[in-house]
Amino acid sequence: MTTKAFAPSAAVPRKSSPLARLTDPRVYCSLAALSLILIVPRIIDSPFVMHVFVTICVFGALSTAWNIVGGYAGQLSLGHTVFYGIGGYTTALLIQHFGLSPWIGMWAGAALSVLVGIGIGYPCFRLRGPFFSLATIAFLEVVRLLAIHFHGLTGGAAGLIVPLNLGWEWMIFREKFNYLYIAFGLLLLTLLVSWAIRNSRLGFYLTAVREREDAALAAGVNNTGVKLRAVIVSAALTSLVGSFHAMYMTFLEPATMFSLATAIEIAMFSLIGGLGTVVGPLLGTVLVVPIAELARGWLGASANGLHGFVYGTVLVIITLTLPAGLVGTFGPRVGQWIDRLPGGGRRQDAHAAPASRPISGEPGQPILEAKGLVMKFGGLTATDNVSITLRRGEILGIIGPNGAGKTTVFNQISGFLKPTSGTVAVIGPDGAMTNPASADEFSRLGIGRTFQIVQPFGKLTVLENIMVGVFMRHPKVDDARAAALRVARLVGLEDIKDVEARNLPIGGLKRLEVARTLATEPSILLLDEVMAGQSQSDTQRMVNLIRTIRDTGVTVIAIEHNMQAIMSLSDRIIVIDSGKVIAEGNPQDVVKNRRVIEAYLGEDFVDAQGI
Amino acid sequence: MDVLVQLLINGIMLGSMYAIISVGLTLIFGIVRVVNFAHGEFLMVGMYAVYLLGAYWGLNPYVSAVPVIILLFALGSLVQRFIIQPLLGADEHIQIFATVGLSTALVNLALLVFGADLYSLTVPSARQAVSVGDYTMLTGQIFMLACAVILVAGLHFFMQTTALGRAIRATAQNRNAALLMGVRVDRIYVITFGLGAACVGLASALLMPLYPVTPTIGTYFVLTAFVVVVLGGMRSIYGAFVGAMIIGIVDSLSGYYIAPDLKEVVYFAIFILILIFKPTGLFGFGRGTE
Repeated sequence: MTTKAFAPSAAVPRKSSPLARLTDPRVYCSLAALSLILIVPRIIDSPFVMHVFVTICVFGALSTAWNIVGGYAGQLSLGHTVFYGIGGYTTALLIQHFGLSPWIGMWAGAALSVLVGIGIGYPCFRLRGPFFSLATIAFLEVVRLLAIHFHGLTGGAAGLIVPLNLGWEWMIFREKFNYLYIAFGLLLLTLLVSWAIRNSRLGFYLTAVREREDAALAAGVNNTGVKLRAVIVSAALTSLVGSFHAMYMTFLEPATMFSLATAIEIAMFSLIGGLGTVVGPLLGTVLVVPIAELARGWLGASANGLHGFVYGTVLVIITLTLPAGLVGTFGPRVGQWIDRLPGGGRRQDAHAAPASRPISGEPGQPILEAKGLVMKFGGLTATDNVSITLRRGEILGIIGPNGAGKTTVFNQISGFLKPTSGTVAVIGPDGAMTNPASADEFSRLGIGRTFQIVQPFGKLTVLENIMVGVFMRHPKVDDARAAALRVARLVGLEDIKDVEARNLPIGGLKRLEVARTLATEPSILLLDEVMAGQSQSDTQRMVNLIRTIRDTGVTVIAIEHNMQAIMSLSDRIIVIDSGKVIAEGNPQDVVKNRRVIEAYLGEDFVDAQGI
Repeated sequence: MDVLVQLLINGIMLGSMYAIISVGLTLIFGIVRVVNFAHGEFLMVGMYAVYLLGAYWGLNPYVSAVPVIILLFALGSLVQRFIIQPLLGADEHIQIFATVGLSTALVNLALLVFGADLYSLTVPSARQAVSVGDYTMLTGQIFMLACAVILVAGLHFFMQTTALGRAIRATAQNRNAALLMGVRVDRIYVITFGLGAACVGLASALLMPLYPVTPTIGTYFVLTAFVVVVLGGMRSIYGAFVGAMIIGIVDSLSGYYIAPDLKEVVYFAIFILILIFKPTGLFGFGRGTE
């Protein structure tokens, strides 16, 4: 995401010691800005200012933690206060009943929150957009109502007072500055975790899954798995902050600990600052929280509702005018200014690309066997008893009229569709045939596929798109970047490597499909009409590219309508019509086959030509 | 047995109230394809309007229904025209934030203007008990049931027989095809959003005699309405009607047999289970995962 100020493609020095990093203006500017949170209340020294700054730290941390799920993974949770409340209540109850220090209790709360997060996330991740949000609201309401109902445990609607033992051990102080230290520490922790995720394979995978679930699967990403990891981290962090905030307020009631309004506010700060960015959530909090707190402080009860009204209005205005948020909109420019400071600037990338996965095995041996594939969509039989055996090292062309079922065959041999009957077996790393169960498993076994209808990760750059593919074999970001560059060069995308994928024309997107698939270092490459939309010279380039790829040991199956290209390229051709294989053989024989000509041009043509 | 029948009657009465609110929500979701998180706040606005008309001009809520329905139609149309329409091409999460923001703003505006106090209207004509055998119900509840049935029948008639109804259905099925056939899709959306809000206007006039209005009353009802809409398959007016009756009955029975403060837990649990296991709704009318 190059539009984001702290995006991974930006100038983050690589493999440098923490001390060396301090000379990077992005690092020292961030640290200087953050230290203001500790310095300003020291200078002004008023209980009110102190309270505002603790609140900023707490909500900044909550929003940063929320952003890992809501921004990076794009799962718009509006029930995140579940974790905040669980953290608070667990810690308070452990103090009350077992005299356990909140420093220990907060981890128990985090563990419980993680379990609840998995319980909510696992079933709900299949829900789309607003329905996911609604489900999270429903979970929050259920937990809140249960907290009220079981008043024997929680104190019910009347609330719960934290036992007032003073001292660091109990996280309750007379000297209010100590609260700020802890709140600031939690804020730093969440920011660091968020930054680390953003700059790791997980961060790329989350963005990929958010943008295109299918393309992520094809790149070997376990969609549910990465989303769950995001929830686990986010729930734990949110819960820790909730534990601290309960100690700070010393009073818990279900209405505030499991509040829907607070859950919305947390999400809102992220949107204002910039969803999916590292600093956005904190920036949104810093801008909005003081306004609300000042209104509350100055106008008192007469302004009941004022801050909420301001929040809601700001939210609507932001969605209409700056949907990318402040960092998303202005981040790149500010980032450039900062890079001009001493020590800034983009470092040359001298990292050597890692070695590709070697492909071994005997040419000609069967490496993929599809037997009797039948796929029925309701009354329509899209493929009817299709069997294909693929031999190592060949280029197999699949042709047939529109709607013949070619792409449906592809979807079945890459795991995107489960055949109604029939089996697909793929050679495993040990040389034995296996039956993978899901698309990402197919992908990890070395089957790379492109999509006929291109599926770019629109908000990632070309290079980052390719990196998502590389990550399957090379989990380190540096390696992935270098390997992606190598693939970009090979496919002819190097000149536009920093362009966001959504800005590419169709020819470029088709090549990006091939590049991202190649990046997974497949042993079998499934190409679905990659020549479509290419110019004459690009087509020739693609033909050469496919030959080059084959020469490295990769086996290729290509669906293609460009007859000239596919005929010159293929060692063997399979013709599919109305879901059935009607001809198979070398290209010269297939074009003369009567049934093939019938399928393309009709019986009348065949009769007229007297073939 | 007597208790059970009375509870079922109460449930149906409650269900007819949810039906009127949910039909509007279904209309907006099914046609404009936007989940309106501010739907409950429309109800709240309508109820304050009915209250003001009653308290200052002495209008009977059932008379106020007419101006309030018009007011809510206008409110809904304006929201569609100036907030939703510019965002139709935007990411889904932006649309969610927009309606959530509108909801937050309206709740707090009401809190600023009216405070957190309860306001209610005394309408004797709506609170007369009617006895049938051993069972009793209120006239206001009977009105509600009648209106729910008339609303669903009326919408059915409107959608099936009028040119505008056909245009709305065409837009719902395929926006681009409708556009190519000369349907002014943007205008259809504005009208549909207005109609959805107008249903809530009707609901607010019918509710005011029975429930006091507070700034947060919308949140209370809209969450239930979402449960109903999901239960009914999200796109179907009839599904919403049946779903509303089911939730009304569940509400009434679980409040008595389980615990009054856990009845919402019961239907939220149903909601979550339906979303997860049968996202097409109980009758398979729609698709939640689509």
